[in-house]
Amino acid sequence: MSPALVQGPDGLAGGLARLVPARRLSRAAREVNAVVTVAARDITITLGSPSGLVMGLAMPLLMMGMIGGMLRENMAGGLGFDFGQFMLVGMVVNMLFMMTTMGMVTLVDDSDDNYSAELLVAPVSRYSIVVGKIVGSSFLAVVSCLGVLVVGLAMGITLALWQLLVLLALAPLMCLSGGALSMIIMGAIKNKKTANMAVMMLTFPQMFLSGVIIPISQSSGLLWLLSRLMPMTYCVDLGRAVVWAGQPDYDAVVQFDPAVNLACIAALTALCLVVGTFLYARSEKNR
Amino acid sequence: MAVIEVENLVKRYKRAKQPSVKSVSFEVAEGEFFAFLGPNGAGKTTTISILTTTLSKTSGRVRIAGYDIESEDRQVRDHIGIIFQRPNLDRTLTAEQNIRVHSCLYGMYAYRPLYRAMPAAYRERVERLADVVGVGDALFKPVGKLSGGMQRKFEVVRSLMHTPHVLFLDEPTQGLDAVARHDLWDYLDRVRRQWGTTVFLTTHYIDEAEGADTVCLINRGEIALCCPPQEMKRQFGAADLEDAYVDFLRRDAGFQADGEPAVAAPPPDRAPAEPPAATPAQGAGGRS
Repeated sequence: MSPALVQGPDGLAGGLARLVPARRLSRAAREVNAVVTVAARDITITLGSPSGLVMGLAMPLLMMGMIGGMLRENMAGGLGFDFGQFMLVGMVVNMLFMMTTMGMVTLVDDSDDNYSAELLVAPVSRYSIVVGKIVGSSFLAVVSCLGVLVVGLAMGITLALWQLLVLLALAPLMCLSGGALSMIIMGAIKNKKTANMAVMMLTFPQMFLSGVIIPISQSSGLLWLLSRLMPMTYCVDLGRAVVWAGQPDYDAVVQFDPAVNLACIAALTALCLVVGTFLYARSEKNR
Repeated sequence: MAVIEVENLVKRYKRAKQPSVKSVSFEVAEGEFFAFLGPNGAGKTTTISILTTTLSKTSGRVRIAGYDIESEDRQVRDHIGIIFQRPNLDRTLTAEQNIRVHSCLYGMYAYRPLYRAMPAAYRERVERLADVVGVGDALFKPVGKLSGGMQRKFEVVRSLMHTPHVLFLDEPTQGLDAVARHDLWDYLDRVRRQWGTTVFLTTHYIDEAEGADTVCLINRGEIALCCPPQEMKRQFGAADLEDAYVDFLRRDAGFQADGEPAVAAPPPDRAPAEPPAATPAQGAGGRS
């Protein structure tokens, strides 16, 4: 105890008397502040974990460099469009989507460490906590995205600056969509190992079903249906729509109207966010 | 005025055959130090979890600071502070970062990524509180490198940052050494006196409840006794609260062993009881 700071008959009393509580923020400002706070906590943790950052940068090397590279060299002939650019846009969206989804597993870590109790007793909306977690998780997704661009550059695949800027402008929507989808898992699974496996089972099939590196325009039957149910399908297609806008091979690359993509992303994201947040809050409280 | 009102509270966990909390009712007045005691599995943590909105109730009515815990849960959370049974500071952050996250989640300050960028009011408050509980030097150390006692003290600082009306302490001194326990209670007693904070305590260290205004005994999900500690000691003819508590549990265990219903402790208005007869379980090592 510092005598210089604490005065009064019993030491503490004088010190506490001067600790006038700060004026609280308004309701709306408090929710925005909660999103920022939860996100900042996750970003601080990510920055404090060099191994996590290295993994985030290494992932594109594996995905884009090895898988994409092999496909480009051996199977991309005669497609009628630039497969390298097709793959680069798909991988950028995939990294944003997948890394955010995987980052949301930290909700299970918080539950294991009992930190979720601290979050859930805070007088803020559960949506603010979940959206904050999504924003925080998307930080590593953006790092991975930069890795994709570097690997793409090394492979001789580039985007014009305006194409890159438009893609980055869409990034928050794509991260939100991936994070919302993972909430369905986080709401239902409380075991980290199981949650990790479930996220893997969700993200890897999506990479193929959503047309990240392999065109899906010829899919039929069950594969066609599954591809339409995957939120990432619309994210990838929207990304390509803005990059290929005005180009002659637009129709060969893009499947849906951008408005359809946006509507589907919004609807699926809202559905996953509401259902996932409900399941998450319920699983923590209803035991 | 009652700041905590609990009426016929029932909690039955999923797939459980019996409720963990069975029609519990009590009230806690503003500024009161309320000790909620009972053996393991009695229903203490279940009750405190419901009161702090982290667990749903099966039935009953609970109001904290005049707000219903279900329909007005956010207002309830605004008025309470909690020190959980399991320490739950984020071990990957520094103590100050933990406190900053808490203060911002409670809407006291807008979040800033750096301590020095936070408002001066925040910095003054956190430094003063940390000094008050004697952990000012460790404010910027990672939580993972702090002792259990230091972590507990930072949890106290964190829980007091938003000046709660009701402070819930769920076995706050579990795992602490005697000196750390003593220091923590010294600080908490002063906080209570200075701010008039209502304190709701569960503990297995019965001596910590000696200074309580009311002691409430819960066993097998039912309230057995709710009265001032002096009254409880008088009823059990015990010199201190721990002896009275142990006598209560032994009587209860004896009744249970005989296949009788759980003991109903003497009603508060009953004349001082004779010390209860020793049960077989009391024979060796009994304190009374």
